[in-house]
Amino acid sequence: MIESGEKERLKELLRERLIECGWRDEMKSLCRAYTRKKGRNNVTVDDLVHVITPKGRASVPDPVKAELLQRIRSFLASTAT
Amino acid sequence: MMSRNSMYTNPKPCKHLADYKLRHGLSGYNLLQEQIRTTPSGKSSVKNHQTEIPRCCFCNGYQKRLYLCLICSSISCSSHTLLHSQCENGHDIAVDIERSELYCVLCCDQVYDPDFDKIVMLKHLMDLPRSGNGVDVSAGRRSSKRRRLCSALELDLKKTKQLVSMRDLRAKSCYPLGLRGLNNLGSTCFMNSVLQALLHAPPFRNYFLTGQRNHEVCRKRSSDRLCLLCDIYVFFSAVFSGDRTPYSPAQLLYSWWQHSANLASYEQQDAHEFFISVLDGIHENGVKARNTGECHCVAHRVFSGQLRSDVTCMSCGYTSTTYDPFMDISLNLDTGNCPSTDLANKSLKPSDNTYVSTLLGCLDLFTKPEKLGSDQKFFCENCQERQDSVKQMSIKRLPLVLCLHIKRFEHFPVRRMSRKIDRYMQFPFCLDMNPYLSSSVVRNRFGNRMFAFEGDELDTSTEFEIFAVVTHSGTLDSGHYVTYLHLKDQWYKCDDAWITAVEEEVVRASQCYMLFYAQKMLYYKANEDLVCQPVSPRADPFLPIAGCC
Repeated sequence: MIESGEKERLKELLRERLIECGWRDEMKSLCRAYTRKKGRNNVTVDDLVHVITPKGRASVPDPVKAELLQRIRSFLASTAT
Repeated sequence: MMSRNSMYTNPKPCKHLADYKLRHGLSGYNLLQEQIRTTPSGKSSVKNHQTEIPRCCFCNGYQKRLYLCLICSSISCSSHTLLHSQCENGHDIAVDIERSELYCVLCCDQVYDPDFDKIVMLKHLMDLPRSGNGVDVSAGRRSSKRRRLCSALELDLKKTKQLVSMRDLRAKSCYPLGLRGLNNLGSTCFMNSVLQALLHAPPFRNYFLTGQRNHEVCRKRSSDRLCLLCDIYVFFSAVFSGDRTPYSPAQLLYSWWQHSANLASYEQQDAHEFFISVLDGIHENGVKARNTGECHCVAHRVFSGQLRSDVTCMSCGYTSTTYDPFMDISLNLDTGNCPSTDLANKSLKPSDNTYVSTLLGCLDLFTKPEKLGSDQKFFCENCQERQDSVKQMSIKRLPLVLCLHIKRFEHFPVRRMSRKIDRYMQFPFCLDMNPYLSSSVVRNRFGNRMFAFEGDELDTSTEFEIFAVVTHSGTLDSGHYVTYLHLKDQWYKCDDAWITAVEEEVVRASQCYMLFYAQKMLYYKANEDLVCQPVSPRADPFLPIAGCC
């Protein structure tokens, strides 16, 4: 799937959907809140990634998940033969 | 609601980055350049081989963020970058493969280097389809900026001392100069409200008060014809004369009717339409615009700015850019609704009732990339066919006075009905327009870059202060316009002939329709000039100073 570039396309699609439904803005405000709490100079990218990842994974809306899974499934089906 | 850094000052490099630069200079960056690939959406990634999956050299994993060491090109995942740095001394700086962003292993944090960003951007630009790809790397034209700034100050500083001499001893109250009620001449609150705002737009006011418009030698008037500019001049003189009794701007109304025949009636008109029409009248009446270059009539000098529109092909990334002038910006209210069709499953935003619209939200909406519908496919020069595309607006050049119009009147030509949107919108008194400038918006397309872009307008201020708010209450057909003015740290409510001092909270809670912001330095300079009489001990600031109309 990676070789055909499909993964990249799906990633782009996922990115679009997550922006549309406000998920990215939500993550941004979580990051901002965390940074404000810790102080701007005491936060690294790694910190943020660690803090945000579980919340992010949990809050992906179901329709987005469903759409992506569907696309992956159909892609695999189309290249199965 | 997105918020971006208001100032792109380059952060100081960490010790490790500084060491790396000393030892290796740009060689590592240059070698990397070849491997950078950019997607049409603007994302730059490092791709060694198109088909090979990058994996961590320690754990063989490929699912975490992967970092490419700038010295030896070995790839480690976020868990093992430190390990690599421990194994190889000095291998501290790496590049995030997916995003082409610098990372310092020892600081465990993203770091920034304009030289690196420049190289990434150059590669991006080289890869983009040619001819008008909307990104100009050449140095900004500073001379034109400086000229504009100078002319702004000129309008402001020239002969402002004359204002002091206009203080009239008949003024009985402690109110600042230029505060005078305007009689309603028959549903003319739409005109009165806008006039109040124009009276106090600093460079506009100064132009008419310092006699730069010499109406003695106006050709039109000498031949007994109407001249809008002269009438405005007379109007300004009357309002700033010190006489506090309500003034009837009848001559001005008549003059304006002549210009905008289609709007001449005693019906309630739209304040925004009046505003545009008055500026247009000033433009037509004034100095003939040159064919090339900017117009120098007072309306343009004060209110005009420039918008940039970028349309990007989603297939190849080719961007077509156009520039258009504007006298004001009309904004749609941001309602927090996401355009996704699955409204039933919105697990993130529980209810729309709690979302408060804000001016920054509206500006974000205005500069947000918008996918053009499939019926609006744009003809891409590069692909030579119609493609799906994304459009994005930004502000190329800010005016001295920024008028923001909130679109509260929705018209449905098909159903032949219109309605008003009463939704409350929060607005700030101090506004920094930096995030909405073309330089910021375009820069943001390429990830987290420190690259100075299109001659960043570093010497032009992007900070604005509010000085007037035109509000509307009531329905579409029977409504009323009221203006709030901010003069010398005090807010005044101008309701036709009635002027009262009010608290800040009242203004914040009002339903704004048009917002007027002036560039900060002009605003503060203007407020110095407004001379105030000493406060009379018996004066009650909440008593209206005007009689009934």
